[in-house]
Amino acid sequence: MQVVCMELSGISKKTVTAREAGLVACTRCTRAWPLGTQVCGRCGARLVSRDVHSLQRVWALWLVGLMCYVPANVYPMLHTQQLFSVDESTIIGGAVELAHHGAYGISAIILIASVVIPLGKFWAIAFLALSVRRHTGFASHRRLVLYEVVEYIGRWSMIDIFVVAILSALVQLKGLAAITPGPAAFFFALSVIFTMLSAQAFDPRMIWDAQTNDDEAPDHG
Amino acid sequence: MADTPPPVEITPARNRRRTSGASIIWIVPLLALVVAFGVAWQSYAARGPVIVVSFTDGAGIAAGETKLKYRDIDVGEVEQVGFGENLDQVQVHIRLSKDIAPYVDASSVFWIVQPEVTAQGVTGLSTVLSGVYIEGSWDTEIGEYAESFRGSDVAPLIKPGEGGLQIAFRTTTNGSLTDNAPILFRGIQVGQVGRAQIARSGAFAITEGLIFEEHRHLINSSTRFWETSGFTFSVGPSGAEIDFSSLATLVGGGITFDTFVSGGDSVRDGEVFEVFEEKETARESLFTTSAVDPLRLSIIFNENVSGLTVGAPVELSGLRIGSVDSLAGIVDFNQFGDSRVRLNVIVSIQPARLGLPGDVTSAAALSLLQDRVANGLRARLASASLLTGGLKVELVEVEDAPLARLTAVGLDLPVMPTTKSETSDAAATVEGVFTRINNLPIEELLSSAINVMNSAELLMSNPDLQETPGDVRTLLGDISGIITSNDVKNIPVALNATLVRVEGLVAELEQQRIAETLGATLTAAADAATAVTSSVEGVPALVADIQAVAARAATLEFDTLIEELTALTSSAEALVSSPETAQLPVALKGALDQLNATLQELRAGGAVQNVNQTLASARTAADSIAVSARDLPEVINRLNALFAQAGRTIDGYNQGESLSRSAEAALRDIQKAADALAKLARTIERNPNSLLLGR
Repeated sequence: MQVVCMELSGISKKTVTAREAGLVACTRCTRAWPLGTQVCGRCGARLVSRDVHSLQRVWALWLVGLMCYVPANVYPMLHTQQLFSVDESTIIGGAVELAHHGAYGISAIILIASVVIPLGKFWAIAFLALSVRRHTGFASHRRLVLYEVVEYIGRWSMIDIFVVAILSALVQLKGLAAITPGPAAFFFALSVIFTMLSAQAFDPRMIWDAQTNDDEAPDHG
Repeated sequence: MADTPPPVEITPARNRRRTSGASIIWIVPLLALVVAFGVAWQSYAARGPVIVVSFTDGAGIAAGETKLKYRDIDVGEVEQVGFGENLDQVQVHIRLSKDIAPYVDASSVFWIVQPEVTAQGVTGLSTVLSGVYIEGSWDTEIGEYAESFRGSDVAPLIKPGEGGLQIAFRTTTNGSLTDNAPILFRGIQVGQVGRAQIARSGAFAITEGLIFEEHRHLINSSTRFWETSGFTFSVGPSGAEIDFSSLATLVGGGITFDTFVSGGDSVRDGEVFEVFEEKETARESLFTTSAVDPLRLSIIFNENVSGLTVGAPVELSGLRIGSVDSLAGIVDFNQFGDSRVRLNVIVSIQPARLGLPGDVTSAAALSLLQDRVANGLRARLASASLLTGGLKVELVEVEDAPLARLTAVGLDLPVMPTTKSETSDAAATVEGVFTRINNLPIEELLSSAINVMNSAELLMSNPDLQETPGDVRTLLGDISGIITSNDVKNIPVALNATLVRVEGLVAELEQQRIAETLGATLTAAADAATAVTSSVEGVPALVADIQAVAARAATLEFDTLIEELTALTSSAEALVSSPETAQLPVALKGALDQLNATLQELRAGGAVQNVNQTLASARTAADSIAVSARDLPEVINRLNALFAQAGRTIDGYNQGESLSRSAEAALRDIQKAADALAKLARTIERNPNSLLLGR
């Protein structure tokens, strides 16, 4: 039903939540039950109309993700060993170096994939979590879109780790050149994982509660 | 929505978890924080101290990259590279690893390992690819913490904590030491020499050496070291011998040793050994040098000591007791009263050679010498070798020597008084001769000779002079012309005709035997002779002879007549050689003499200006010769006339063969004279120089 609502988000009609309709939906098998049902009769999943601890999980995981993001940027991402030289570069350092060599395109891709998107995710998750409690001038539908985007884009942040993993596997030419992942790769992966978990921990149904709390808040949509 | 689903019996799939105020999820960030802090604390706690090592230059050292290694294992990393005060040094800050830090105490040494190619081999090759690293060495005892060190650019020979016998080497007088040369024993390297240094006194080089621990027992106090060049070549009774020991020593030199006698004491660290030039000297030194320090004396010579070399013997009564250590000039106004440079010869005397009774020490030797000096012992220079002119220092007893003492003033060496050197030696004489030869102005002589050559060349290339041979040739041509002139040639013809007539006359006389006719004829001959006398002055003798002939002819003694005729012919010959005739060669000779004199003058003067004058004189001389030659036809004419008259006089006489022979003899004489003239002419023609050179 929420999917339907989402699809109709362009409609300015006030959305009716399941709670208001006296129902609770199973988040695993999507079967709707009368409000107050404890366990999903079909799949056995625990039924809660609103996950009260969701925000705590979001914030906890968000914090771990942010903590991991610091060493991911401080420590070198790649450990490149060539014939006579050993080169270690951090994410930003590598991008800057590429830009120095004129590869602005690649530099921009790296900056967007490894810096802009993760930071954007942190901001987006924090924003969503905050907007549940506090009124913001951001339409519920838009917030939902933002949540979808964050969830969708989360897995693509792993592309960095994939690149590092593939390079490490392929470039192992004894003595001539060797690439090994630096410590930052591990922390970056952790950071991505924790932000994904954080995003997943968010209960998007709370977006609509905020709308309810706002009462007749004007729809800016 | 309208139908409420029927109530369903529901059995919970799982027990519902109890929920409390705070989610358990907060453990995760807490755990992360704990881990982060734990790691941070651990890495902080694991950090060792920072030490600062100063190097003169930091070739290849990079912060964050260059490692500190101990026994080739990383024990630290360079954190920072900077300069010391005044930029005089490179200061390298090294973060030590914690576990090794306590061992790095004040005795530690650090050096930069970089690729190095030496005669001994290639070292640090790995650093070509990896870059330089800093190697540290310290002993295995935990010592007091030290923060700053002075690093060296090359690996130290003796590393702390490593075993081995640490000894020092000192060169002998003419010896040399090579840095880092190997110490070989039977071709195996058993040690190494460090970096050689010049001793403070400047008299020898000194270096530290290390004998590896496992070869320590090879060295004792009677071990002698000598240089091995790796290549020896010797010619002896058994033939020529070439010996290669090792390529490394061939390039870089090395030291080898042997213990020639048994019973040496064990050697402790710090012992000083001498490095001899070759095995033989090393072996000899074992028997000659004593363990006693040599007595060093200073001898100041006023005279020239060229020929005295370092190592020259010091002899006492012909026995070698020491050698010359060094030679140097000395100027000491206070001591000598003038600022003249004197020669300070420092000699070392082996006390053992003096045959001292009791303790053999340098002090005892000094007191002995002091005693002898008081009795007139003096040092002097003497010839060591006649061939090389080398000098030696001789200690001799001089009678009536002025009072002198052998004393040391302050820290200076004792000064040995000297006496007049033996410079009247053969060597000195030979040297004197050589000096005199040396002093000959060879160069001036050569330059003078070159000048003479140049002048001669100028003279020769002078056009006037080049014309001289032409002039002479012309002159000779003239002479030749005169000799070959018809008049001269006609002389024999005329004579012949005369003689034929004389012959005919004599024959007629034989037949007719008319004395009267003969007498008349002779009278006519006398008349003719008189006529000749009137025409040619200076022939009275001929006339007299002819008169005498005529007188004898009157007596009709034919033999006598013929003899008289011969005499007459001789007289004719005399006439030919009469002053006027003789005048010709005389004039010619005079002219040549004049020419000669002029040339001599020219030579003596050596001036080109004289050449023209000379040539003018030569021309004058030639003119004189020409004038003389002009007189010749006249003489010949007169001769012709004489013979014609003689012919007329003797006409009718035909006395036969003997007369003819006499006449022929006369002719031959004339011919000889002509030949002589021709010979002279030829000689001059063949060798015009003779005219110039006067021979």
